[in-house]
Amino acid sequence: MKVAVFLPELLRHLFKKPNTVDYPFKKLEVPKDFRGTPFLHPDICIACRACERDCPAEAIEITSVNEAEKKFKMVIHNDRCIHCAQCVDSCPTNPVKAMEMDHLFETAGFDRHDLKMEWIFTRAIPKREAKPAVPPPPPSKTEPAQS
Amino acid sequence: MAVLKTILYLLVYPGLLFLFVYATFCEWFDRKVYARLQNRMGPTHTGRWGILQPIADFVKLLAKEDVVPERADKTLFTLLPIIGLAIVATAGLLLPLWPYSEDAVRMISFSGDIIVLLYLLSLPTLIFFLAGWSSTNLFSTIGGTRVLTMLFGYEVPLFMAVLSPAILANSWRLAEIAHFYQKKPLLILPNLLGFVIAMICVQAKLERTPFDIPHAETEIVGGTFTEYSGKKLAFFRLMIDIELVVSSGLVAAVFLAGFPGGPGIGLLNFVVKTLFVIFFLSLIRALTSRIRVDQVVTFAWKTLAPLAVLQLLIVILIKGLLL
Amino acid sequence: MKFTIPIGPQHPALKEPISLRMTVEGEVIKDADIRLGYNHRGLEKLAEEKTWIQNIYLTERICGICSHSHSTCYVQGVEKLMEIAPPKRGNYIRYLVSELERVHSHLLWLGVAGHEAGFDSFFMYTWRDREVVMDLLEMISGNRVHYAMNTLGGVRRDLDELQIKKILDGLAVLRTRTEFYFKIGASEPTFVGRLAGVGYLSREKALALCAVGPTARASSISADVRKDDPHAVYDEVPFDVCTADTCDVLGRTVVRIKELLESYKICEFLLKNLPTGDIAVKAPRRAKPNEVVSRYEAPRGENMHYIKSNGSDKPERLKVRAPTLANYPATVEMLKSGFIADIPLIFAAIDPCICCAERTVELVNGRTGEEKIVRFSELRKLADERFKNRPVKRNAVWPF
Repeated sequence: MKVAVFLPELLRHLFKKPNTVDYPFKKLEVPKDFRGTPFLHPDICIACRACERDCPAEAIEITSVNEAEKKFKMVIHNDRCIHCAQCVDSCPTNPVKAMEMDHLFETAGFDRHDLKMEWIFTRAIPKREAKPAVPPPPPSKTEPAQS
Repeated sequence: MAVLKTILYLLVYPGLLFLFVYATFCEWFDRKVYARLQNRMGPTHTGRWGILQPIADFVKLLAKEDVVPERADKTLFTLLPIIGLAIVATAGLLLPLWPYSEDAVRMISFSGDIIVLLYLLSLPTLIFFLAGWSSTNLFSTIGGTRVLTMLFGYEVPLFMAVLSPAILANSWRLAEIAHFYQKKPLLILPNLLGFVIAMICVQAKLERTPFDIPHAETEIVGGTFTEYSGKKLAFFRLMIDIELVVSSGLVAAVFLAGFPGGPGIGLLNFVVKTLFVIFFLSLIRALTSRIRVDQVVTFAWKTLAPLAVLQLLIVILIKGLLL
Repeated sequence: MKFTIPIGPQHPALKEPISLRMTVEGEVIKDADIRLGYNHRGLEKLAEEKTWIQNIYLTERICGICSHSHSTCYVQGVEKLMEIAPPKRGNYIRYLVSELERVHSHLLWLGVAGHEAGFDSFFMYTWRDREVVMDLLEMISGNRVHYAMNTLGGVRRDLDELQIKKILDGLAVLRTRTEFYFKIGASEPTFVGRLAGVGYLSREKALALCAVGPTARASSISADVRKDDPHAVYDEVPFDVCTADTCDVLGRTVVRIKELLESYKICEFLLKNLPTGDIAVKAPRRAKPNEVVSRYEAPRGENMHYIKSNGSDKPERLKVRAPTLANYPATVEMLKSGFIADIPLIFAAIDPCICCAERTVELVNGRTGEEKIVRFSELRKLADERFKNRPVKRNAVWPF
């Protein structure tokens, strides 16, 4: 019967750096395809409502603001979102999809109704030639509405 | 003047304030070593290196709500933490720290005080049992019976192991034992077996892994402390910390030749030697898993007690041959 | 003197609420009574309201640890209903994530077993190594739990060369650590003293009570869905079924550690022989009326989904039989004639995932304590009536 089998391993760890990351003073990098929160590129969206139909948590709401000018409003309820990225997969625009996931994961707030993001946009015509080469950067959390 | 000095000894050093500060420091040291052995950080942000963490825990517990169960015996339930704290603090007075002098026999250092110290350290076990019993909770009762079952196991080897160096030093007074080993340091070596046995038994007395059966968190929720909260729990935890200091002080005084050198160097000696013992206690805590209560009694009577008798035999042989 | 100890619904030994009432005499358990239903969420009813694609994410959230197994079991069944077959590369990636999930689940279990036994250092070490697997899964799928890799007809994300290399490096590190834990688990005397001889379940009893997963494999029953009923990838990958013959908690630990080593072998085979091609085929919106039973070897045992379709884009019925549900009668048998001190270990040894198993409900009148068994058709009538008077979907206001 061996006594203290664990001992050499334990003593070795006394001289190593701890494995814990000192969050929130130091943070780890998230990998490239991390699924954070979804956001919209309003100039490419064709308002086909595929993302609204496929969302498992009913977190996307697209309503028509003005029928004549083809203005739509999209609200993403981030408190209902389950971060599955099905909206990105269902979006049919190409080559750049209108829905994209960013890398934000520290999205806690004090009131769940503050976690909404809204966009009011004019519906894009599908199959346009002048497509943006680089998608515009994602909006920060403090700007709720864009046009 | 003498009354003032006595009150200062009782309250400041080596009395309550010193014990409070040093006990929280020892708990910090224990938690930090335990964490580093497990490759994690331990207390980090309260104070530099997290030193103030145990004091913060104590203050937090003082501020929480104090719930007394309906069917519990209220007087006993409330008095037990206070009596427990008083007992271990009195035991702390008997350690051979300055001011003591080897020639004069005084209140804090008299012949037979090692027996009084060991007796005072056995009383907390009874207090834990009474705490579990007076809570009238199913889990506390089971915890209380486990505490007493463990007592049947480790008391005898502990007494035999701690009294062997006393027999070798020919005295029942802690100050004289320490002084004897300071004069003849080589005689510490025959007592090494007793040192190991005493450390295992002290680990069982303090209810730390592998012997933390009475308050096993995953089995009986809180064991004897299930119903305690708020100030009473704060006092119980402080009592356990001071018991840690006193037990390691006892082991250091008897096996590691005491704390010579007057006020300054003596205090340094005390800190270094008790931290040495506490390091080994934390190492045992990280090394093993919890064992069942029947396995404790089997282990104590089949392994520890014969080894303690062997240690006594070695001491008697050496005493006969050399002295 | 007999008295009844309630373990649960809230107890530090349990991660989820379940009520085990034990009749004890001293420290020996005489009888155990299991009550379920504290975690019932109505998932099967909710699955009838969502489309086939939305249900992938719903089934994934039945459990956090074995999320990919529920999702894969469901998707396997629906692909059978829609009569589509995913391409080879898609299959390989899907079952690679399955095996990585098995690794993560078994490392989690080792830590939990250590914590229940009081061996906190072992718990910290195994969970530190589990971080390696979770980082790999985050790199592959974008999230540490709830990987959402499955879609109808294949997987959603592809692997590139850099990711494959990182996965192979991570697996090499994990393999050395797992062999170290094998050595510790077999020889640390205090730990082995807690695990050996505890929770004995003989082979005949295990067969009679229909135990599944490592619980049964530790009683030398060689039953593994991957070998008995190989689907997709498992008839091409060489691996062994791990059994032990000690029939106690130590045997279950050994089975799980051996399964870890087998999973590393399977993952390396899948990565080295990854075929080129597409990762998904397009799936139709509706499925023809049919019914299918889909089986899958989750880390805890055999997982079964029964799916029935009626030609629309939503399922008619989804029934989930999680492996923990099959292990409950065996647990009652194991608990008899054990000690109180062994309760958390015996219960943890079946690797309970109680939220997976919460599909049935027993109506107990709270005041009088009487139990009523209600027929399924009556329960369905009650549910349909309540459902008819619900507010219209588009104008639904979330509470407050």
